[in-house]
Amino acid sequence: MKRTGFLYDERYLLHKTGPYHPEIPERLEAILQGISSAGLMDKLTRIAAVSADLSWIHTVHSPEYVRRFEAACRSRQQTLDSPDNQMCPETYQVAVLAVGGILEAARRIMAGELDNAFCAVRPPGHHAEASRAMGFCYFNNVAITARYLQKQWGLHRIGIVDFDVHHGNGTQHTFEDDAEVYYYSIHQHPTFAYPGTGREFEYGRGTGYGFTKNSPVLPGLSDDDWMRLIERDLFPVFADFRPEFILVSAGFDGHRDDDMSDIKLTTECYSWIMKRLVELAEQHAAGRLISVLEGGYCLKRLPELARNHVEILMNG
Amino acid sequence: MFVSRSMTRKVITVNPETTIFEAQELMAKHSIRHLPVVDGTNRLVGMVTDRDLRSALPYRFFKDGISPADKQGFQNLKAGDIMTRKVISIPPSYTIQDALLVVQTSKVGALPVVDDEGHLRGILSVRDLLRAFINVLGIGQPGTLLCILVEEKVGQLKKIVDAITEMGVSFGSVLVARYWDEKKRAVFPYLLTQNVAQVKKKLTAMGYELVDPMQWYIDQLPDTERSPDKSAE
Repeated sequence: MKRTGFLYDERYLLHKTGPYHPEIPERLEAILQGISSAGLMDKLTRIAAVSADLSWIHTVHSPEYVRRFEAACRSRQQTLDSPDNQMCPETYQVAVLAVGGILEAARRIMAGELDNAFCAVRPPGHHAEASRAMGFCYFNNVAITARYLQKQWGLHRIGIVDFDVHHGNGTQHTFEDDAEVYYYSIHQHPTFAYPGTGREFEYGRGTGYGFTKNSPVLPGLSDDDWMRLIERDLFPVFADFRPEFILVSAGFDGHRDDDMSDIKLTTECYSWIMKRLVELAEQHAAGRLISVLEGGYCLKRLPELARNHVEILMNG
Repeated sequence: MFVSRSMTRKVITVNPETTIFEAQELMAKHSIRHLPVVDGTNRLVGMVTDRDLRSALPYRFFKDGISPADKQGFQNLKAGDIMTRKVISIPPSYTIQDALLVVQTSKVGALPVVDDEGHLRGILSVRDLLRAFINVLGIGQPGTLLCILVEEKVGQLKKIVDAITEMGVSFGSVLVARYWDEKKRAVFPYLLTQNVAQVKKKLTAMGYELVDPMQWYIDQLPDTERSPDKSAE
């Protein structure tokens, strides 16, 4: 059995998004309940959230944006950059705690204390751009973690797999000219889903050209097509790239019971993806993998999805 | 909405005495396919396209490159000799819609923009038109497209717009597709939000039909052009 870390902190519930918003604290409670009721909590190594050093956040976000976000919360502003990004005075601190917790998970894996980890954090991150909050995201958790692994631990090949049903525009843009970070995303086709990027012909830029890959999936499709595209588009390129660390943007909003998309995945499909990713990490990255929560809004399905997710991280 | 706002103002031009090799170099250097031909007072007298150049020169020039001896033989060929003299041009006061319709019927790739005195003021390419419509569609901004089927009667669009606006969601664009169904219209709001589940729920509760994304179309070829059998006739 692997030594799997689990990042969760009650303070992640303090980020409140108001009525009519799907990105709510109950999501994390559902995840926690799914893991606890399966008796898995004792087998996981709990990771405590700590506030991130701002210098790490600045590797992805402009200091001006970070200050603007903090000031918006301090002045009790209710949204940042778009009505989508509902927040409360605590949001900034919670976002800093989310980043800090994931960096701590990364540190412990690199120090050999853990094999892999699941980070049940809020707010999510993959839409957040260098200077703009977007799509319920403020700080790009996964992108900051990749920068941390590059700068603090000297890694040169980091593979990011984003299976949230929406394209991770922020992550792609952060690394589109960086050949050391391979960004792969599978998502609902951008003509039919937020945010409208992640088209098949986006491959990165400059020296990073060829280190970005997108698999847009048409509305209504389900497991077979999703799995076929991952087999075709992800595994061959990662076999060449040989990532030293795998970061997963884990969004569960492509589930057939999740009303945030038109993709119809089953719970089993999510287990399949995770098993394949754990194998991939085993082959190339000495098992090193961190999975970070992005979307996934179906409170009924999140418990089983989270339970399976950590079970696979522990047992492969 | 006027062509004068969307056209390229700094036009790369030639005069009738420009050799076709110079014209060819200009096209390659600026990645363009249309060179308006103007006289000494910047009056439009013709147009040279990459196609005109290809028709004027032997195929082997493009395949094997041009030898100095070859070049000598065609040195006397000038833009004025190969240019199209009857150029379809538009005035700066035309709208983007005018230009679209002209492009559709004339099948040209670029329209020189000429004022009342016949002076060249700019050029509007199909790419300029596309850029304008990417802007109109709003797809440069993050958002989500929906498709709502509505009865063709007064006030439907207002109800939809009001319902969405009440939820604090703003619009990137709203398209209405014609000829969808005899008595129906397809309304495509492009909403600047990720939070569409709530919008969908509300519209469904109001009795609107949301169309399966795989059944959407904003355009469809006429029957005669759609079938490969028929187009061959």
